Parts: sequence; C-alpha cells; structure tokens
Amino acid sequence: MNIPKETKTNNLKIGHLGEQIAKIYLQNKGYYIIEKNYRTKYAEIDLIARNKSVLVFVEVRARKDERFGSPEDSIKRSKIRKLIKNAQAYVARKGYVKTYRIDAICIVLEENGRANRITHYENITF
Amino acid sequence: MLIKVCSAANSGLETIGVDVEVNLANRGLPAFEIVGLPNKAVDESRERVKTAIVNSNIKFPTKRITVNLAPADVPKEGSFYDLPIATGVLASIMSCELPKKSLFFGELSLDGTLRHTKGALLLSLFAKERGIKNIFVPKASANEAAIIKGVNVYPIESINQLLAYLLGQISLEPAKYSEVKSEAVQAEFDMAEILGQEQAKRAMEISAAGGHNFFMVGSPGSGKTMLARALPGILPILAERESLEVTKIYSASGRIPPEGSLIKIRPFRAPHHTISQVGLIGGGSRPQPGEISLAHRGVLFLDEFNEFTRGVLEALRQPMEDGHLTISRSRERVCYPSRFILVASANPCPCGYLYHPKKSCTCTQREIEKYKKRVSGPLLDRIDLYIEVPVVEIKELSEGRVAPTSAEIRVRVEKARKIQKNRFKEKDIYTNAEMKNAHIKKYCFLSKEVKQLLLQAGMAFQLSARSYFKMIKVARTIADLEDSEGIKVSHMAEALQYRPRDQIRDK
Repeated sequence: MNIPKETKTNNLKIGHLGEQIAKIYLQNKGYYIIEKNYRTKYAEIDLIARNKSVLVFVEVRARKDERFGSPEDSIKRSKIRKLIKNAQAYVARKGYVKTYRIDAICIVLEENGRANRITHYENITF
Repeated sequence: MLIKVCSAANSGLETIGVDVEVNLANRGLPAFEIVGLPNKAVDESRERVKTAIVNSNIKFPTKRITVNLAPADVPKEGSFYDLPIATGVLASIMSCELPKKSLFFGELSLDGTLRHTKGALLLSLFAKERGIKNIFVPKASANEAAIIKGVNVYPIESINQLLAYLLGQISLEPAKYSEVKSEAVQAEFDMAEILGQEQAKRAMEISAAGGHNFFMVGSPGSGKTMLARALPGILPILAERESLEVTKIYSASGRIPPEGSLIKIRPFRAPHHTISQVGLIGGGSRPQPGEISLAHRGVLFLDEFNEFTRGVLEALRQPMEDGHLTISRSRERVCYPSRFILVASANPCPCGYLYHPKKSCTCTQREIEKYKKRVSGPLLDRIDLYIEVPVVEIKELSEGRVAPTSAEIRVRVEKARKIQKNRFKEKDIYTNAEMKNAHIKKYCFLSKEVKQLLLQAGMAFQLSARSYFKMIKVARTIADLEDSEGIKVSHMAEALQYRPRDQIRDK
C-alpha cells in the first residue's frame, strides 16, 4: 500500500493517545489497570482492567474525526471474534476462572488532542 | 443456579412435554445460549427474552446463561418457549420458587407483554392428561386454553405481572371459559334465494343430513357455485365432541383468533383448483394440516373439479375413505382427521353446453372423453350423489316462486341428524355416510322388495360393491329425513336416482 509514512505514524500517534485517554478515563471510573498493550499470539489487548470482581478486557478505538465513519463502525464481527480469542488466551495463561467481559471505549479527538467524546460500551460480546 | 420450567411442544395434534432448564453461571464470558435443537424461531427467542426483560425495567443478568430444551434430541420449533425461558431467567435472578405442577407457554413481545400463541388448547389438553394442575398462558390465549375443564389456566399479561406473582406480591385468578357469542349459522346465499333447482336442493338436503358427498354437473351459470355456497346454511352446528375435534385442528395450525373459543360452526373450505397436493391434504417437513383437515366435520367444496391436477384429486381417495390421514415425513408422523362432505362441481364438457336444451355443444367426442377422464373412476366411485343442475329459464327468474328457506331445511336436517346420533350412540361415528359394512348390516334392514330393487339396479348400473353400499346409506338417510324406521322402496328408488347421468341414460 502506498501510504505516506507520516500518515501512518500519525495514526499510530492517535492510537496511543486514545489508549492513554482511555486508561485515565477508566482509572477515574474506579477501575484498576492490570496490563497495557498485552500481547498474545493472536493480537494485542489494549487494556486489561479489574472492576470489582470482574476482569475487563478493553478495546480502545480512537478517531480524529468522524468524517470517515465513527470509531464504533470500525469494530467488526471479525474483530469481536478476535477479542474473544485474545481474552480466552489470557484467561487460560493466567488460570483465571471467574467472570470476565469485553468492553470497548470509543474516542473522538479534537484538533488539539483532547477528547471530543468518550463512549464506554460494556460487555460488547453479549 | 439451575431452574427447571415445564413446557410442552405440539407435533400435529399430539403434545410432548419439554423441560426448559435455565442455568446461570458465574464464570466465563457473559453469554446467552439455547441448546436442544432449537430452530430459528426458538433461537431468536434469546433476543425477545433479553429485550422484553430489559424493557420491563428488570436488569438482565450479565452472566453465562445456558438454556437446555429437554429432550435434547427432538427438534424444537415455535415461539412459545419465550415465556418458559423468561420465567427461568427471572426465577433464578430473583431466586424465587416456581409453582409446582405448572406449565408455561407463550410468545413475548419486545415491550414485555405476551402475545397470542398458537396451540394453547392442545397444551391444556396435555396438562389435563398428565394431571398437571396449572398452566400459565398469554391472556389472549387463555380463553382457548380454558375450554378444557379441570385445569387452572392463569392468564398472563406481562413479564412484570408474572414476576409480581412469582414473588407473591399479587395473586392470579384462573381464567373462566366464556363462549364467544357465535353468530347464527351463516351462508353466502339462502336456499330461498336460489330459484328452481328443486332436485339439486333435495340432494343437498340429503347430503347435509347424512354427510354424503355430492357431485354437481351443469352448464355455466346454472347455479352450481351458488348452491354449494348455500350449503353451510343448512348444516347443523357442531356437537360438543365434534366441536373439540375441529377446534384442536385450528388451534394446532394457529387459526384461532385471540380470545377465541370453541368453533361451533361447521367449516366451509373452497380452495382454488391450482392448489398443490400438500396444500390440499397437508404436509411439510413439520406436517401442517391441509384443506381436507381444515374442512373436518364441514364441507370441502372443489369448484371446477375437472381442473384440479390429477395427483391432487387422487390424493383425496384414501382420506375420504378413512376419515383421517397420516402424513409421514422423515422427521415425524402426524395424524390429522379429515371427515368432510366433499362437494364437487364441474361442467359436462369443455365448452360447457353438453345436454343444454337450447345451445349446442361444440366439443368433439374425443374432447369430451378426455375431459371426463381427468377424474378417475375410483374417485367418482366414492361419491354418493350425482346431481344434474339444469339451466334455469330466464322466464322463471322473474317469477317470484316461494322456496323453503335455509332455516326451514336446517330444521329437517337437524331432526335427521338427531336420529343418527341416537342410532350411533355407542359408536365412534355420527352420520350415515360414515357407516362401515358391519353397521349397515346392523342398522339398515332391507325388505325383500327393496333388496330386489337394489339388485336390479345394481345389475343394470354395474354398481361396484362400494357404490352398492353407498346406495343403502343414502336410502337410510332419506328414510331418516322422513322419520321412517325401515327403508322403504320409495327411499331406495330415490337414492338410485342420484347416479351419474351416463349410467342412467345408457340403460
């Protein structure tokens, strides 16, 4: 693909920024962050947190504007399947047996890098 | 937490018990699964249950919910598992006891209310057979279920109401059966409206009285269709047992309206001649009743008899004889009753004017023969009465002759049916047409003269054994209409008049 290098790095930047915002957002909500960018053999888990007794896997999606579709649209069925596999791999590795769930946090950024909106979707696989 | 809710599934007119097991697990990814061979409608019940519970302002548990429909190897279909599944979920999150010996049944609406669901009558019959005391059904289906006495039918309006009951906050009153005011027997035409055609009317009266099949032949516009459509008006209303039989079929196929009650009026079915075999006799991978079963204890009117495809007509043979039909498919075998009066009508030839007093027929002999051959001999042999419907003169139409009304004829028919009812009191049949040879021997004593007449006619007409007995049955009905104990010569003579024209003419 012919993507200019600066655009690619720009997207990466937005991603990192989004993950940072999501982390602070969850911490403010009372979640305890366990892992960040945890890699399994399938893909990466953006955030792993604990809310009360439930283990929460979080997929963060950030966009700088919604002209080319909202961040929600970018989570497809196949991505959700991947998320479930990821979560299962983590749970198996750690020997965790209690309840866990998968959340998504969608962020739209403003020009200055601040969040225009943050939406937290709990339990997206249900 | 594991909860077991009892429900039942209908297969044809039979019902089997189904246990709905709902388990809420505290481990793993939240999910909502249904196992036990659910079909699409059952699988989609997940979304209905989930949304209905949420819309009833109850928090849906984010746990691993597994629903098992046992026995797990029987395919499940239909939307009525919504209520048992929802009940199981509610009972386990509220940890409340379910009433013992109870069946749950019903389809949910997304707003948490319950919808009218087909088959409620069969369910309550099943409950009665199994000694299950209480059944919980949607309010709109409660009256249908309450037809069966001895079962407490609890009408449920919404999930919230059910939950309040389960938590002991309110009490429910069992539904009381109330007969929906059945309108008087109605037909499109009154017999008095039909001018002339005395012979045809007489034959219809015999047919209605004894449940005999009849075949009308006549030129276009002579009034065949009108006559057939007047038939419901002279048929008596259904007796209690018959009514239950008919209502069961209609309940199984989802044709009872909300708040419906027992069907009292005899069904009248008039399918178009393009009907398929499955449409007429029933079928499908989960066999559904066809027109012949929907016409049970009523009338099946096949207009333009010769236009039906041959296979469709031939399929009628066995159910006409047996009065029931077993539909076998790889998945299941279902038996539906099919005891109906067959009313067939046809033109005498393709152009329609054969035997017409004024117009001449333009068909060739070959065409006429080909036309007649569309209906096979074995099928015609199963018809009791043949009537020729002559053309009514224009002059007669303007004359205001007084003919007996449908109501008057119905009184006579009802009287004749009453005689038959008493005669077959201990038997499983209702009408003369249903008599088996053993019954004929017992109830139709023929004097020497009558026997002689029948023998002569039999020889002359080349009557088959079946037709021979049919003649006796028709004569029995004619005698019943006259309230005569024995079959007289005049009765038999009249019965013999209703043979096909070619038979009579040739002799």
